[in-house]
This record gives sequence, C-alpha cells and structure tokens, in this order.
Amino acid sequence: MSGRHRRLLAAHTAIVYLFLYAPIAILVAFSFNAARQTAFWEGFTLDWYRRLLGNALLFRAVRNSLLVAGITTAAAVVLGTPAALALARHEFRGKRATQALLYLPVIIPEVVLGAALVTFFGAVELRLSLWTVVVAHVVFSVSYVAIVVRARLSGLDPSLEEAARDLGAGPFETFRRVTLPLAAPGILASALLVFTLSIDDYVITSFVAGVGATTLPLHIYSMLKVGVTPEVNAVSTLLLAGTVVLIVLAQRLMQDPAATGGSR
Amino acid sequence: MKRFFLIACAAAALASCRDTQERAGPAKAASRSVNVYIWTNYLPQEVVADFERRTGIDVNVDTYDSNEAVLAKLQSGVADYDVVVPSDYMVKVLVPQGLLQPLDHARLPHFENLDPRFLNQAFDRGNAHSVPYLWGTTGIGYDKEKVKEPIDSWRALFDERYAGRILMLDDVREAFGAALKLMGRSINEKDPAALRKAAAMLTAQKRLVRTYNSSDFANLLAAGDVDVAQGWNGEMAEVVANAPGRLAFIVPKEGGTLWIDNLAIPKGARNLDAAYAFIDYVLEAATAAKIVNAVHYAAGNQAAWPLIDEKIRRDAAIYPPQEVLDRCELIEDLGETLRLMDELWTEVKAQ
Repeated sequence: MSGRHRRLLAAHTAIVYLFLYAPIAILVAFSFNAARQTAFWEGFTLDWYRRLLGNALLFRAVRNSLLVAGITTAAAVVLGTPAALALARHEFRGKRATQALLYLPVIIPEVVLGAALVTFFGAVELRLSLWTVVVAHVVFSVSYVAIVVRARLSGLDPSLEEAARDLGAGPFETFRRVTLPLAAPGILASALLVFTLSIDDYVITSFVAGVGATTLPLHIYSMLKVGVTPEVNAVSTLLLAGTVVLIVLAQRLMQDPAATGGSR
Repeated sequence: MKRFFLIACAAAALASCRDTQERAGPAKAASRSVNVYIWTNYLPQEVVADFERRTGIDVNVDTYDSNEAVLAKLQSGVADYDVVVPSDYMVKVLVPQGLLQPLDHARLPHFENLDPRFLNQAFDRGNAHSVPYLWGTTGIGYDKEKVKEPIDSWRALFDERYAGRILMLDDVREAFGAALKLMGRSINEKDPAALRKAAAMLTAQKRLVRTYNSSDFANLLAAGDVDVAQGWNGEMAEVVANAPGRLAFIVPKEGGTLWIDNLAIPKGARNLDAAYAFIDYVLEAATAAKIVNAVHYAAGNQAAWPLIDEKIRRDAAIYPPQEVLDRCELIEDLGETLRLMDELWTEVKAQ
C-alpha cells in the first residue's frame, strides 16, 4: 500500500518536473541543431555558438543586461536592506504609509510603471540611456529587497540583538556582527531574485531604454519580426548555465555555517 | 521612503548623465556618430562597418519589435535617435504629432535611385518626411504535399477541405484584409455593412482555423502543424528556401496587403549631418543591394536591382510580379472605422 503510494508520488513528481524542465531541455538541445528553423532536428553543430561570438549586437545586448542587472542588484540591496531594517525593528510615524508605498512598485502593473518613468525622465529632461534603465530597475527592485529581507528579519529572535547590546556591543557592532550575518541569507536571496527580475525585464525596459541600451530581452523580442534564430537558443543556454552556477554558489554560501553562524 | 529613493536615484543618475553629456559634447557637435533605431536583422553588420570605414562616423544601432515602440520613444522627447524606420501607417501617426522633421531632399543625392512605385504614397505625400527602405507583402504559405491543388486565392483559408489545418495571422487588419479581398473589396473598406459581412465570414471560418498566430506562423507551417498559413513574406521566404520542394508562398490573385518601412529623422535629432549621410549611404545602389542580399526583403530602390542576387530577384515571395503588386494595398489609417473593426474582431475571437 505505502509502496504503491510512494510510486504514485514519484510518478507525480516526475511529471511535474518534466512539465517544468522539458521546454528548457528542448531549448538547450536545439541550440546545437544544425537547422535554422526550430521545427526540425538536422544534426549536431556548434555553429550557433560560433555565430554568437561574431554577433556584435547580441553580444552587446548580453553585456548590457549583465551590467544593468549587476548594478541594479547592488544598488537595490544597499537601499532596500536599511528600509527592511527600519520596518522590522523600529516604530515611527508614517510607518504604515511608508510600508504601503514600498509595496506599491511590486503591485503596480509594469506598463504603468514604465509609462510613469518615461514621463518622469521627460519632465526632468534626463536623456534615455543605459542609466535610465538602471534607475527604472532599481525602482522596482528596492521593494523586492525590502520585502524579502524584512520577512527574514521578522522571523529572527530580537533577543539575540538585545543580548549583544547587554554584552557591551554598540549599535554598529551589533548590526555588523549580529544583525547582518543573521539577515545575510535573506539579503542573498533577495539579491538573486532582483538579479533575475532585472535580467529578464522587458516591459519597463522597453519604455526607458535609450541609445546603446538594448538589453537581451529587448533584442530577442525585436527578432520576432524576422524569426528567432538558434543563436537565441545558444545565448539562452549560456545564460542558463550561468544561472545554475550562481544558484549552486548561493546555496553553498547559505549552507556555510559561517554565513548563518549567529543563529547557533 | 520610496519617493526618497526615486529622487535619490534620479539625482544620482542625473549627475552622472550631465557628466557624460559634457564629455560627449564636442564630439557630438562634429557629428561623429549617428544613433539608428531599427527593426532587428534589418541592417547587416557589413553595411554598418563599411559606412563607418568610409565616413569615420560611428553607428549605434538599437533594435525594436513594433512601430509602437518607436512612437513611445519619440513621444518621450528624451530619446537621442537620429534615424528611425517606421512603417507606412506609423509615418502617418508620427508626422501630425511633429515627431519627424521634414527631409531636405537636396541633402539626399541618391534619392533618385528610389523606385517611383513606392514614392509619394498617401501616408507621406511627396516623401516630405520619409524615404522608402524595405517593403513586403502578406500572402499564403502552404504545404504542396498536403493541399489538393496549387493555391492562388484567399479562398483557400476559407476552404472546408483544410478544416483544422489553417493558420490565420492574429492581426485584425490582416484577418479582415483576407476576407475583404475575397469579397472584392479594399482592405481599407469603411462601409459598416461590408465589414459586418467580412466578420460573418471570419466567424464561419473560425471552425476551420487551427490557430491565430502572428509570431511563429512560418515555423508552424514548416513543422507541419498547419498546411495553409496566412503570413508575411520575409519569414515565409526563409522557410520556403529551406524546403522548396515541399513549401510554397504566394500572394493571392485578389492581392494582399503591402507594407513599406521608411527611413526618417526624428525632430530634435542631434546628429543631423550624420543622419543625412547615413540615409544617403543606404540609398546608394550598392548598399541597398547588399542589404537585400543579406536580409531577404525587397528594397524600394530600383538602381539596386541589377546588383541583387539572381535567386532573390526571381523569388516571387520577395519580389512578386507587377500584376500581383498592382492588386496589393497599403494598410491605411481607418480613423473611427477601426473601432468598429476592432469590436467585430473581438466578437469573432470570442465566439
């Protein structure tokens, strides 16, 4: 009975995973397909990866995307973590309003945010460029960082910080040696989330990108007019590989006792 | 707090931007670069490189996926593009809003290379604001092994024998265009009775249609998911070229839609000299031929004709014969009628 249940459960799990990963597996496989169309398999080739190296525009798009996602992540973590700390640990006037305003960019439809940002840039005469893309991404990313880090902090026992202060640590030392290490997994998780959101954002980016700021999603969408080539499969596969490495690294870091040392 | 972040970010960006503008200032004054906003795979790398070599002007290419993207960028008033490539109907939207500047034809000596058939169109009389770049048509791609007889009419998309094997573009103007052309009307028909009749045809046809799809139609045809597919010629030409024995593309005898993408200069372009130099370079016969040979779309440039690959010149999917072209029409702005058409299309799709 229980054996049958277990087998059913295993089959169910296999089907869910198949559902999730089959499209990705096909994408990876077709990046090695000799045919130009995505419909047929015509044999193995590394041509699309070779072509990728020679495709300056696609290459620049990848570089732009990585640059924007990197800067956005750093800025959002630096800005969002203090916000999370304030909301989780302190009472102040206008806290509820602040909280609501902070959650707004997460709820607001992307089209509205994109249109609002481009109007704002127009009003302050900020020429559209790669920097306006970074600004736009930071706007929604800060909220995600604040929400995720706050959730982590709320789950922690405040008596640990109190204990640190009882033992003579100043506010900064408490923050550096107790709060920050405790919050680190949350910060890392939010950084990964924000990096992912930034690197595949299309709607907002399409509004605020300026000269030289074509990112990978913009580039891929704009290929629809003439048909997506396996070069896109190749670049997606490379990005996928990069993401997997990042996630494995992040998990290693989170399991590292040093990172969560404070909770022991 | 969110507002504070926004302002802080904006201020930081503003500061850094002012910086780069100052540094870039003198270089820009000398027009040493040109910012081009264009459809993807529409401008071969070698053409860009050759222009840069010849003139010393740097070309920055950004790509977009819809005419509406061009509209949004130019409306923002803070996009630094010097050359854009809107389609016919979009030129007609941009000009009244003052978003394109009048072209000085004296600065385009190679204007005379252009094919008069594509000049002086209703969307831009006298080519005051735009010059034709590439053009194409809508037609039918089909699987020669699966259909009963060679297809030459929009009727095939309404043929019971192909029930469940038909693909229609998910595009209100193209769907109505096929029905209206079959009725012997213009694709720009404004008579509500005729539009209702077209909608009735499309509703009756729905049972036969496997899928409405505007982005992947050529692949679905190539994969054998459908046998008869409405589609734009560029993508179709490509899958047909890969399987010429099995697939074919035709522009129906009733005529299809014709589209023309055009080079234009936005109002307020900062590198005006470079923009004119670039456009004139594209109008040169040798450049236009190089572009056609690389992107497989037809150029509105008659001087380029002898320099275009024989295979492309003979490909009726890219360069349809004149009598077919005569029956093709540009999609025009329908004004208020578009709302009725949209409503009818929504009803068709919702049934």
